[in-house]
Amino acid sequence: MFNIPNFILPDVLLLIFPFIVIGMRLFVTTRSQLPWRLANIGFIAIFILLNLIPFSGGAERIFISNWKVDDFGVLMREVLIVSALLGMWLSKDYFEHGADKKPQMHQIAEFIGAIAFATFGGFTVVSACDLLTFFLGLEIATIPMYALAAWNKRDQYGSEAATKYILMGSVATAFELFGFSYLYGFSGSLHFSEIQAAVASGSSPLLWIAVLFLFCGIGFKLTLFPFYTWAPDVYEGAPTPVTAVLSVTSKATAIAFLVVLVYGPLSPIQDKMAPLIALLAGVTLFVGNLGALKQSRLRRFMAYSSIAQAGYIMVALLGPATTAKTAIIYYLFVYAVSNYLAFFVFSIIGHHREETFQSLRGLSKQNPSLAIALAISMFSLAGIPPLAGFFGKFHLFFSGASTGHYTLVAFAVLNNVIALFYYLQLIKAAWVDEPDGHLTPLRLTKRQREVVILLSIAVIFLGFVPFLSNNIFAGFTN
Amino acid sequence: MNTILFNSIWVIPLLTVLACVMIPATYAKTIRTIHVTSATIVLAIVCYLTYVVYALSGTPTNPAAAPLALRFFTDIPWLSMFKANYIVGADGLNMLLLALTAFIVWAGVLVSLNIKGNQKIFFALIQLLATSVYGVYMSFDLVLFFVFYEMEALCMYLMIACYGSGKRDYGGKKLTLTLAFGSSMILATLFGLFFESGATSWNLIEIAKTNLPMDFQMWAFPLMFMGFAVSSSLFPFHFWSPDGHSAAPTAVSMLAAGVMMKMGAYGCLRVAMFLMPEAAKIWLPYVVALLIFNVVLGPFIAIRHKDLKYITAYSSISHLGLIFLGLAALTPIGLRGASLQMISHGFLTGLFFATIGMIYERTHTRDITEMGGIMRKMPFLGVGFVLAGFAGLGLPGFSGFIAESTIFIGAFQQDSTLTRIVTILAILSITTTAVYILQTANRMLHGPLPQKYESLTDGCFREKLVIVVLVACLLFIGVCPGWISEILDQSIAPIFEKINNIP
Repeated sequence: MFNIPNFILPDVLLLIFPFIVIGMRLFVTTRSQLPWRLANIGFIAIFILLNLIPFSGGAERIFISNWKVDDFGVLMREVLIVSALLGMWLSKDYFEHGADKKPQMHQIAEFIGAIAFATFGGFTVVSACDLLTFFLGLEIATIPMYALAAWNKRDQYGSEAATKYILMGSVATAFELFGFSYLYGFSGSLHFSEIQAAVASGSSPLLWIAVLFLFCGIGFKLTLFPFYTWAPDVYEGAPTPVTAVLSVTSKATAIAFLVVLVYGPLSPIQDKMAPLIALLAGVTLFVGNLGALKQSRLRRFMAYSSIAQAGYIMVALLGPATTAKTAIIYYLFVYAVSNYLAFFVFSIIGHHREETFQSLRGLSKQNPSLAIALAISMFSLAGIPPLAGFFGKFHLFFSGASTGHYTLVAFAVLNNVIALFYYLQLIKAAWVDEPDGHLTPLRLTKRQREVVILLSIAVIFLGFVPFLSNNIFAGFTN
Repeated sequence: MNTILFNSIWVIPLLTVLACVMIPATYAKTIRTIHVTSATIVLAIVCYLTYVVYALSGTPTNPAAAPLALRFFTDIPWLSMFKANYIVGADGLNMLLLALTAFIVWAGVLVSLNIKGNQKIFFALIQLLATSVYGVYMSFDLVLFFVFYEMEALCMYLMIACYGSGKRDYGGKKLTLTLAFGSSMILATLFGLFFESGATSWNLIEIAKTNLPMDFQMWAFPLMFMGFAVSSSLFPFHFWSPDGHSAAPTAVSMLAAGVMMKMGAYGCLRVAMFLMPEAAKIWLPYVVALLIFNVVLGPFIAIRHKDLKYITAYSSISHLGLIFLGLAALTPIGLRGASLQMISHGFLTGLFFATIGMIYERTHTRDITEMGGIMRKMPFLGVGFVLAGFAGLGLPGFSGFIAESTIFIGAFQQDSTLTRIVTILAILSITTTAVYILQTANRMLHGPLPQKYESLTDGCFREKLVIVVLVACLLFIGVCPGWISEILDQSIAPIFEKINNIP
């Protein structure tokens, strides 16, 4: 038997407990809350275990030669677990409500299992030391998402979304594999450190083909320009909790993939890749912002908004390793919390009404607390201080500007004005428009109210309260 | 002790908001009482601290903040991730602006006690806006400064769009987005400032000691200056202000025109000109050319408008133009005049919008052609409006005269033909100002009283109190400006010295 080191415990736990949750489905009634409760305990336990891992300050902990747990990995795991936990909370409403207003709590087991496996895929991506594990991680993160996207199998839009997602995702995978094969052909090794040495020693067209294909492949998953077109359809067709998980977990995994590549094996040519990254970042955030301007359906709107956010995250990849990693982790945390807050509000609305801007009318008069939560999440996504979103974006721009990319940063900052415009459209619908008598009144359960308040407080204080930002995120600075 | 009091200026409004979150919206009276009390406490603290700054003038200030003469200096590590600290302090200039803000916030809370809609949220937003303005004037760390500066966007849109009148969504969006455009220019240049200066923190005083490369300054200064000037409605970025002000509820107009628009001019002086003096010397003469619109054409546009708030908005545009004339003069007297004008115009425009709001509450129109003879029914409000108008056209005895004449003297000292021509035009434009103010007062206050206004009543006690206090402030600055110039000079001297020391 292996002597299992402490730092690997969360990963092992995450690998085991979804099987228990799914297996439990066989033994429980349709109304049973047991799988949900167990999953809650599991995710929270993993989160606590992750927080107990001390920062190594640059030194890598390696487990059987190709599974490393560095500081970035630990923090990234925390982001993914928070996202999974929130996604699970969000899904509870969905299953309690059921497809035909019948509770289907037993189905939540499979749902949670899929989220947990996708999360484990993310864990694998940040732990990988060689291309094979790396690729496996990306696939483990993606395949459960295909199943999740197809959850509404009787729904026309749901099936369309799932088909689109699977086709696009497979093409992206093919691109990545092609890129990996060239990278292997160029360096003659699958191991990151050897690839890094080969990249440092000399460049060739082969390497650049590999880089280009890798960026194309991950561009699909990160919804970068010009590979973002699937996102609006899939975000709209999939059930709300899946959309939320897709927009946070998938995106976090994809960006982690890029961070590992750019600051790992490809780090010697980071400055040469800068124009490519800058171009992708600039065009993506511009296209995302323009696309969001004319949307009237909430989840399509969030799709474009998250495309733009992907562009903003890319800006940070231009900076030096520690600054960029801290910035990206911090931003992902903030983005996850703000995005989930928005999706919680949308899901409450979606249970009673259609998910369009029209359904938000008069929200501030009928349900002020929900309207305040919506305003908080939108202003945070728009990057208005003192909400967390501002500090997140500030950090991303700080990272981009630290290597002198002022033009891109200025462009990104100016784009924020466009972003503010469309976020204000949504706030206007909720705050300014008169209530519409035809809309079904909203009822919040106690749990929904608690989660919304918790997330709102997190969005407000995550930004400027220094003890949070110093202790949790300071892994790279000490 | 004074330092703690100083820091509590921006904390008290926030605590008030938190306290009111706990109270259900049905207890409107309790909520109003809490907000009035909190605004009054802050006003008292600020007045006391202003007196302290005045009493201590001439004594040595905190050496950590040299060359700036700062008191109540606080420097605490804040966000170590991007080296931002919590740095606040007070010199004469920002202490006076804080006092102005406290007065306007206090008056704004008092005039909006019977606003329609959800009062709990409205007063919370007013206090948040107050926090943001206090914070901007207090902070000497650029990140902290920017956080407070941008925070206003959040409150402004909601307050205008939910509680305003007329085209409130349009006006609110126009205002918020234009201001956000300005602050995005500022943010972009802030990154440049930080990395090009090679400073180890965002401390304004530390960055001022470094030498920024000239080619960087040449592109960064106009971006940053214009970014700040957007919120002071310098041509060509003035267009948000008439629509924004006319859509906003009274208290928001007062705060926006009275203190928020000064934030821009303050930023131009404190950040842009102080940190990049070399580029300021080269670029500012071109700014003078833009002022022809603000100062000369602004009053002409005001003559043609019928809506009271549009008239006041254009009058603000012309008065803020004078601030920039003082800044662009680059002489100590000009800078002092600009600072005086910031304070004087704050009180004056606050009084203007307050009386307009009170009249509008009664007549339900702001169209001056529909009004008439109001003086007979509301003598107190009418007199308040006329006094604000007199202060605006620079009648001696009011603060406007002191400020404007100082600016004109300062600007004329500048050895440049363009500046002198603009100064002369600006002096002549006082006549135009007199035209629209007297014309408005005449049409609105005198003549036959329309039938529908027979039952109108004069201001109640709290409205009279607001008018009396604001008029008293205007007169006080106008009659004894000496002490203000005295404390202003300490804060202007280091900025001027930095510009003057350039070979």
